[in-house]
Amino acid sequence: METGTILFVVGGLAAAAVVYFYNQLVALRNRYQNAFSQIDVQLQRRYELIPNLVETARAYLKHESETLTAVTEARNQAELTRQQVAKAQATGAAAVSATEGGLLQSLASAENSVAGALGRMNMVMEAYPDLKADQRLSELHEDIASTENRVSFSRQAYSDAAMRYNTACEQFPAVIVANLFRFEDAALFEAANDEAREAVKVSFG
Amino acid sequence: MDFFGQQASTRLRSRLLLLGFLFAYAGTGAVMYFGIALFSVQVGLIESVFAPSAPVAAVIGLFWLAILAGCFFRFLDVRAGGPALAKKFGAEAVVEGESSRYREDRGADRELLNVVAEVSVAASTPTPEVFVLRGERSINAFVLGTHQDKRALVVTQGALNAFERDELQAVIAHEFGHIAHGDLEVNMRLLVALGGLMALDEIGRMLIGPVTLMAMIRRTDDQHVHPGVFVGLVMRLFGSAGVLFGTLLRSAFSRQREFLADATAVQFTRAPFALASALNTVSEAGDDAPLHLHQAPELAHLCFSGRSVSHARNWFARVFTGWFATHPPLQSRIDAIDPHFVVKRRKLVKAARVAQREGDIGGMVAAASQAPVGPGLSPVTLMTATAAVVHASVSGAAANAAFNSAGPNAIPNAGPGAATTVAASNIPYLRAVTPAKPATQQAGLSDRIMLLLPDGRSCLAILFAFFVPDESLARREFLDEVAYCYEPEFSDLIQELLQLLPAELESDRLAIVEHATQVIKDALDMDKRQQALLTLETLVRRLGHEDLISYASLQLMRRKLAIEFPVVVSAQQEAGTCREARGSKVKTFEAMGEEFALMLSLMVEVSGAPEHELDQQYKRVLSCYTGEDLPRRSSREPGIVQQLERAFQTLYVQPKSIRAAFVEHCAEIVLHDGRVTKREQSLIALFAASLGCEDVDLSPEHATSQAA
Repeated sequence: METGTILFVVGGLAAAAVVYFYNQLVALRNRYQNAFSQIDVQLQRRYELIPNLVETARAYLKHESETLTAVTEARNQAELTRQQVAKAQATGAAAVSATEGGLLQSLASAENSVAGALGRMNMVMEAYPDLKADQRLSELHEDIASTENRVSFSRQAYSDAAMRYNTACEQFPAVIVANLFRFEDAALFEAANDEAREAVKVSFG
Repeated sequence: MDFFGQQASTRLRSRLLLLGFLFAYAGTGAVMYFGIALFSVQVGLIESVFAPSAPVAAVIGLFWLAILAGCFFRFLDVRAGGPALAKKFGAEAVVEGESSRYREDRGADRELLNVVAEVSVAASTPTPEVFVLRGERSINAFVLGTHQDKRALVVTQGALNAFERDELQAVIAHEFGHIAHGDLEVNMRLLVALGGLMALDEIGRMLIGPVTLMAMIRRTDDQHVHPGVFVGLVMRLFGSAGVLFGTLLRSAFSRQREFLADATAVQFTRAPFALASALNTVSEAGDDAPLHLHQAPELAHLCFSGRSVSHARNWFARVFTGWFATHPPLQSRIDAIDPHFVVKRRKLVKAARVAQREGDIGGMVAAASQAPVGPGLSPVTLMTATAAVVHASVSGAAANAAFNSAGPNAIPNAGPGAATTVAASNIPYLRAVTPAKPATQQAGLSDRIMLLLPDGRSCLAILFAFFVPDESLARREFLDEVAYCYEPEFSDLIQELLQLLPAELESDRLAIVEHATQVIKDALDMDKRQQALLTLETLVRRLGHEDLISYASLQLMRRKLAIEFPVVVSAQQEAGTCREARGSKVKTFEAMGEEFALMLSLMVEVSGAPEHELDQQYKRVLSCYTGEDLPRRSSREPGIVQQLERAFQTLYVQPKSIRAAFVEHCAEIVLHDGRVTKREQSLIALFAASLGCEDVDLSPEHATSQAA
């Protein structure tokens, strides 16, 4: 067999491998980006529900206005950050990349403070039996609980997808393709500061 | 999880399965052909098997037509998509905003829709349409449809009623696990393939009509039976045989997939405890059929729970049901998800009970102080009451949260999102764990027994009566000995009690011992008690009726009568006088492998499972205590009782936490099969008493189910 043919075959195989890994990486990247937009959708849904909940609860919780204000403030802050991220996502060419890690982290910590405020509010609501009996409020409560789950599940799905993409990028044959075509690592959705990680404290003073 | 590899292997498996089904079809076809042809040759319709006449060929053609038509119609059904299929099975669509027929269903429906939406977020798949089988009281769920956009998730009303929110979530995550692993595509193809065979069976049934086989056999002599009935019979025969074979194939495929779907469900929700408790709910629901639908056999392999290996003693029954099981046994699924589920659940129940009790106390305080004040509520008492209730729910919630946090450990690659646990669902969940009735006193002695055992003398007699052998010669000897040691009247009293309480002696053993020892303790002083027990012990030992259970009973009585182990007393005294000696005397935890092995093997043996299961269980439990591989002991070994006694002494000087944990673990072994026999109960009570721990509370529902 001539050397030309051998070279041709080897080159063809290498090209096929590159195409295969490239396609796989692209598929994984799209998947994790889609997972990220899921978080956004769920967060938006939650931020729309919170004012409803606060307004309905206000009628019963006249003496707990502090808790309610805290929830509203946390919600507004998180909504702002969310919009910033969405804007950055819309303008930037690469949807979410490591360079936006800082923004992503601030969203995550804003997110955690909302969860904390909501948790406190739930605890306060436990102490008001007539409030729990309200039909509309219990429906809202169920919706909020469900949205909480969806938010955490979408974060989980995003983390899983990002991890899978990162692993695929770093593994041996694919890492060449990834470097060649500048596939960047996906940022993980984690809280920036340690305070936000702490569990919600409840006190019955 | 590697989706690509997963899908590739699924495709391969599905091709193999379809090949199997092709063989099944070819086999059915061949058997059908030769069956009919041979019958025709016998009857004289045709001369050779290979040259069928037109009518015979027509009959065979009719059979094939039935099969193909069945396949075709089922294919149309499947192609129409999951929702259409679900409606065909009689399920009602649940749509957001639309109210159900019943008002009370609306909240549950909303919850169901929310849960499905949540899990589809976790699984990153489109949300399927949701259906509920309203009339179905069994607890189950399944998914239908091949194409991504045309999937339907069907939940039975029984499941909606039985599950708490997080359990429902786990069950639905299991179904999404099937979707993620591509089981649906395979299953839908199998549904088509099976459809043809079922059609054959169905047409056969129609042809036979109301005629039964027995009626036919009796009538053939004098009455004429339509030939169509014969054709129908043959059709049913082949159809059922085909369905049988197909079911075997499908079951083999299905069993393995269940573990995978369970694992994926945990990956989605990160809540292994919820899934385990859902499975537990199903297993507690009992032996009810997994699904009551007419189409149940077709759907069995799609369901959350289904037939599994029966626990029959008969090995033939076990093997036979094993082949047809579409699902692995619930217990082994629970073990795979969360090996310590039983212990965790019992702790949770306990925590909830304590919380409830505290709540009750708060409520009582409020009620008591409310009464004199009248309608004008005193704000202070109300505050205490609410505080108690809130405190109770918080301590329960904390326990639950502790188990939730165990989630990420179960799966190493748990993402950071898993840290957010959902607080809202904690409290209603606890309510479900708390048994309907509070812990009842398990020693519910009947008035009859109380009347028969009024004084110390009769109580002592009943203790002796436990050890009277059944065999008449040995019984005579025993009673004579008693008469010799005490007086003849005492021996008569024992006999009288034996005749009056034959059944209770077995069934209420523990309760009677409890009562009798209590009375004796008040009636006799220490020396007399010791004397009596010594007499009883020597009698039992000398007459050779000593086995594990009688030993356990004797030791239990000894404990209850507050007669100390002489050896242990001396050991404690030594410990008080010279501390240095203690270090050499007390074995370390690691060195006690043999003692643990002995006690655990006895415990496992008493649980009464078949031999191979015993070995398996023993290995599992022993691995918690020691790394050594010690052989399982048997209670039939000579001198085992003395060894056990020594083991008790070794263990007794260990820290209380170790002893208590060991007894808890023994209770777990006993509760492993969900039943508590008297033997198990007395052995546990003995262990607890001998190790100086409080009585283990084998939960009341188990105790009552045993008594029934």
